[in-house]
Amino acid sequence: MPTVLQNIFRFIFLVLFQVLVLNNIQFLGYINPYLYILFILSLPFQIPRWLLLILAFILGLSIDIFSNTLGMHAFATVFVAFFRNGIIKLFTNIEEGNNPTPSFYTFGVSAYVKYVIVMVLIHHSTLFILEAFSFTHFWILLTKIMLSSLITILLIFGIQSIKTK
Amino acid sequence: MKNLINFLIQYSVVFLFLFLEIISFTFIVKNQEYQKSVFLSSSNFLVSGMYEWNNSVVEFFKLRAANDNLSEENTALKNQIINLKNKLSTLTPEANDSIHFRIPPEMIYRFISAKVINSSTNKLLNYITLNKGAIDGIKVDMGVISDEGVVGIVKTVSNQFSVVIPVLNPKSNISCKFKRNNYSGGLIWSGEDYRYANLTDIARHVELALGDTIVTSGFTNSFPEGIPVGTIEDFKIKESDAYYKIKLKLAVNFHTLSHVKVINYLNFQEQKELEKKSVE
Repeated sequence: MPTVLQNIFRFIFLVLFQVLVLNNIQFLGYINPYLYILFILSLPFQIPRWLLLILAFILGLSIDIFSNTLGMHAFATVFVAFFRNGIIKLFTNIEEGNNPTPSFYTFGVSAYVKYVIVMVLIHHSTLFILEAFSFTHFWILLTKIMLSSLITILLIFGIQSIKTK
Repeated sequence: MKNLINFLIQYSVVFLFLFLEIISFTFIVKNQEYQKSVFLSSSNFLVSGMYEWNNSVVEFFKLRAANDNLSEENTALKNQIINLKNKLSTLTPEANDSIHFRIPPEMIYRFISAKVINSSTNKLLNYITLNKGAIDGIKVDMGVISDEGVVGIVKTVSNQFSVVIPVLNPKSNISCKFKRNNYSGGLIWSGEDYRYANLTDIARHVELALGDTIVTSGFTNSFPEGIPVGTIEDFKIKESDAYYKIKLKLAVNFHTLSHVKVINYLNFQEQKELEKKSVE
């Protein structure tokens, strides 16, 4: 039960932090980190996949409602949630029956770093491509994806390394 | 039959995935209509309420800049009063001979002041939410300006809130012209920097210089003529081009925008109906 409660708090905190603080960061006009994806990254490994998808959809939709971009965040978040377990299996070898919550401690530093980078890149690319809806501003698009992903990844590492246990 | 059920169970997650993605995508594509209906957009009561609360905190930190702005405007107004008084005093003796002076046109513009409670400058499609709506007399297609210049056009209105499409949105289309020689063109945002926009449709024979002032043309009913849009920052033209590539520095700083005025053009309806009739 504590895991459930912990995740509910994490959800609320990340959504509020995203819409009230991060969406107002407009550094250089390119950088807008989307830290809320950390919620999907930190769900326990054994969570039923249908529940994972539904949670991703709700999370994306909540962000959408607050930022006037109906559907975009929902699409990107569900997309990345669908590939989550595949990516985890790619980088780690978790034994049957184990149910770790992804972090530096359970995955090991190198596996967790790879996992976060791949997940964030998938999410941000989907999101920014959807937002632009064309490749006419390709280089701007690419810069946006790269810079924002970098900041999100650094934020996630920062938060995860502060966490004890 | 059993195989079919097994198949469905085995791939149920994939179906769920596709189902959710299709819903999301439908949302994106229908976004236009959704914004019209105000439902689930930031005119939504709960969301706006929260943004208003957030804004009341943030506004505190912007007080200094707002004060500076106000005092500047105040001095400008005072100067204007003195100027007008001077003019008036020179005119009054001849006022009896009123045939020399044009009767001032009717005041056909009214202003509704409003506050920005949510805005963005870093997206490709930016929107601004105002804290006034239909109750305060705001209607769709009204122009929005700040003390510095043009902000945008009202897109959707709910009872207490309204959403504006600012210049920083490729969907906005505001017609503007050179203050100096009245050549008019369209204003388009390039999507990169909130401080700059592009001016299109200026033919190569037009003479222009860096720093020329661009104002609204008054051809769109949303704005009266002569409201500042920006100044020319840079312009280019190739041998083969028929039109200039002009970069404008916008007069309004969208990043610090907090108080705006919505323009209510009292003859809007009449003009629009007349124009519609003549097209038919």
